[in-house]
Amino acid sequence: MNLRRIRAVAVKEWRETTRDRLFLGLAFLMPVLWLVVFGYGLVMDVENIPFAVVDHDHSQMSRDYIYRFMQSRYFSYRGHVTDMRDLDRLLTETKIRAAIIVPERFQEQLSGGEAVSVQTLLDGTFPLQTDIAKGYIVAINQAFGEDIVSEYISGLRGVTRAEAKRAVRPIALEIRYLYNEEVRSSWSTVPALVMFTLMLASPLLTALGIVREKETGSIYNIYSSTVTRAEFLTGKLLPYIAISLFNVGILWLMAVLLFQVPFKGSLLFFYFASVFFILCTTGIGLLISLLVQTQMAALIITMVAAILPTILFSGLLVPVASLSRGAQVQAHVFPGMYYTDIVRGSFLKGVGLNVLWPDVGALAIFAAVIGLITYRLFTKRPKA
Amino acid sequence: MTGDILTDAHRAARWWRRLAAMTQKEVRQLGRDLPLLVFLLYSFSLSVYVSGVGLTMQLRNADLLVHDADHSLSSRELIHRFRQPYFRLKGEIADPREGRRRMDEGTAMMLLDIPPRFHEALAGREAAAVQLLVDTTNAPQGLSAAGYAAQIVSRFGSEVGLASVGLGSTQSAMPMIVSAHRVWFNPNQDETWFQSISHLLRTITVFAVLLPAVALVREKERGTLEQLLVSPLSPVQIMLSKVLAMTAVILLCASIAVYGVLRPVFHVPMKGPAWLFFLLTGLHVFTTSGFGLVAATVTRNQAQVGMITLFLVGPMMLLSGITTPYESMPKWVQTVMAISPLRYYIDITYGVLLKGAGLDVLWKSVGTMALLGGGLFGFGMWRFRRQFE
Repeated sequence: MNLRRIRAVAVKEWRETTRDRLFLGLAFLMPVLWLVVFGYGLVMDVENIPFAVVDHDHSQMSRDYIYRFMQSRYFSYRGHVTDMRDLDRLLTETKIRAAIIVPERFQEQLSGGEAVSVQTLLDGTFPLQTDIAKGYIVAINQAFGEDIVSEYISGLRGVTRAEAKRAVRPIALEIRYLYNEEVRSSWSTVPALVMFTLMLASPLLTALGIVREKETGSIYNIYSSTVTRAEFLTGKLLPYIAISLFNVGILWLMAVLLFQVPFKGSLLFFYFASVFFILCTTGIGLLISLLVQTQMAALIITMVAAILPTILFSGLLVPVASLSRGAQVQAHVFPGMYYTDIVRGSFLKGVGLNVLWPDVGALAIFAAVIGLITYRLFTKRPKA
Repeated sequence: MTGDILTDAHRAARWWRRLAAMTQKEVRQLGRDLPLLVFLLYSFSLSVYVSGVGLTMQLRNADLLVHDADHSLSSRELIHRFRQPYFRLKGEIADPREGRRRMDEGTAMMLLDIPPRFHEALAGREAAAVQLLVDTTNAPQGLSAAGYAAQIVSRFGSEVGLASVGLGSTQSAMPMIVSAHRVWFNPNQDETWFQSISHLLRTITVFAVLLPAVALVREKERGTLEQLLVSPLSPVQIMLSKVLAMTAVILLCASIAVYGVLRPVFHVPMKGPAWLFFLLTGLHVFTTSGFGLVAATVTRNQAQVGMITLFLVGPMMLLSGITTPYESMPKWVQTVMAISPLRYYIDITYGVLLKGAGLDVLWKSVGTMALLGGGLFGFGMWRFRRQFE
């Protein structure tokens, strides 16, 4: 390894990048813009579920009951319907996602101490939303029922309302939220978005590095020069590692200043772990660049290979623990998951190397393996 | 007069022949890129399969630790109500601090803390309280877990409480509301349907933006575009041929995904007509590729076009309504996403596949998408022409 030759390759690469204004601009702007758009726009709470009502009872109690749904911020009222066939149409057109059908004799039965079954129709196309909607409905039903039951008991047993209420709900559940005490959606998404942005943008920086030289033929200059394989690959990576590390800093600043996410961990540790992650992501791009013959293939493979697993298997949306076995394996062979642990750990939990060492270790191994494979596959003496 | 008509017909035939020749060239060029072909096939088969099988966004296996300071009948009964598939009991711990450490490590998501004298308090009709710590680094998952826990505790509580005042623990004897759910379009709540379809939509969209855009910029970068421009081909033919070729390839791949994975493996229904689905998939690819073409006209090389398309595709993927429910998004996102063809295509796909909706229901989405596609294509064409004048 000759430092001077590495520098020469790196400087050449850097110049090439800086002379392409549009590319350079996007390399710095994209992570920033993405963090703004997703940080404010990507809301993962399920709210405003559009619903319609069929009220067969038309009583005071049924109106009170329906009012609870209209008031809830989880639901968004879209109107009363008299005909069941209208519900069919509204659900098919995706105008509503849920429908509540209050049966006849709703008030009569409840006042008489009988249970009433209230039917809800749910659109099952988006199972997460369906599931959560179901949970909200059960919760509203339960709360409404408890009020009626406690009234019923106090009448039946001649005890005070408060005592009856205690009989219905004897256990208080005190929930304490840890790490993100106010359960702000942005606190949990923004750190993960730092991972998301870097995971997508950095491989793209390097993906065309070698294949472009192959396509234009300028790689022959390298083949015939004194630059060794390791020097060439290192020089190729250096400028993009620098850009990505700069972006890490910007993203960190934005998370802390713009989104007010608390940073409880050690900045030194975070940066040091980020270096390993950047080595992985830029390394992936370079490896793909080496494996393909055309820039088109490099671009598409990098993008699809980076975007899809990152959305699905990195812990951005779904914790890795709740994936199936096969998907967990896939999650573990992508670096995104480890870095998600590191980012969320550093921001929200305030843990450092003592807890996160397995993640940092995995990234280091990953980077080393990628580097080694790239080194072994790159040859200055191509066949043909 | 007849001569003129013949020449017109002749001209039209020649126009189409040229377009066909160019389209064929694009398909061939793609066909010779072996790594790309292998990857295309992988994306539309294995990748769809893995995400269908592997992903679930519903709460699953939330790791629960228990600190039981009571060790009574009631506390054990309560603990055993925290069951799979939502919760996974990770064992009891003797010291709450141990639980905090495990949560720091991320090996547990919640800690249920039952105080001493829990059973006595319940039996003696005193106020009993249990504490639950929830990791909310992933906020929606944490909230969802807390919600389920609250339901479990309150149901357990009301059973014990009602029994203690001498009323049977059967809820039907009480004036309660029994929740009866009927889920439409996916009655078994099979999440593999949702995830595999969503993955297919994402894949189609990425390829639809990228393939034609790169195909066009590649010719620009290499200089072969100049040759095409001095040939008898018109700019419309040059651009249209790329879109047509890539649409054909993507439609072929999509049918592999539908008939190779979705239908036989996951038993995803096809309630509406298949031809309608593929026709509208074609429309989606055409519309989406409009974005790619516009991007191709403002860039000079493939590195630039890669950056720009990624910049466009990212928000489309996350904010069009397959990653999080569209209705929950902030208003401004909903407004901006009105220009994302994927947003309409999602309604169309779920409509045709799961709901059996026809054009009578979907015409609005289809119309909007067609307008959008036409507009983008026209704009791209205008920019393309202007560049070479």
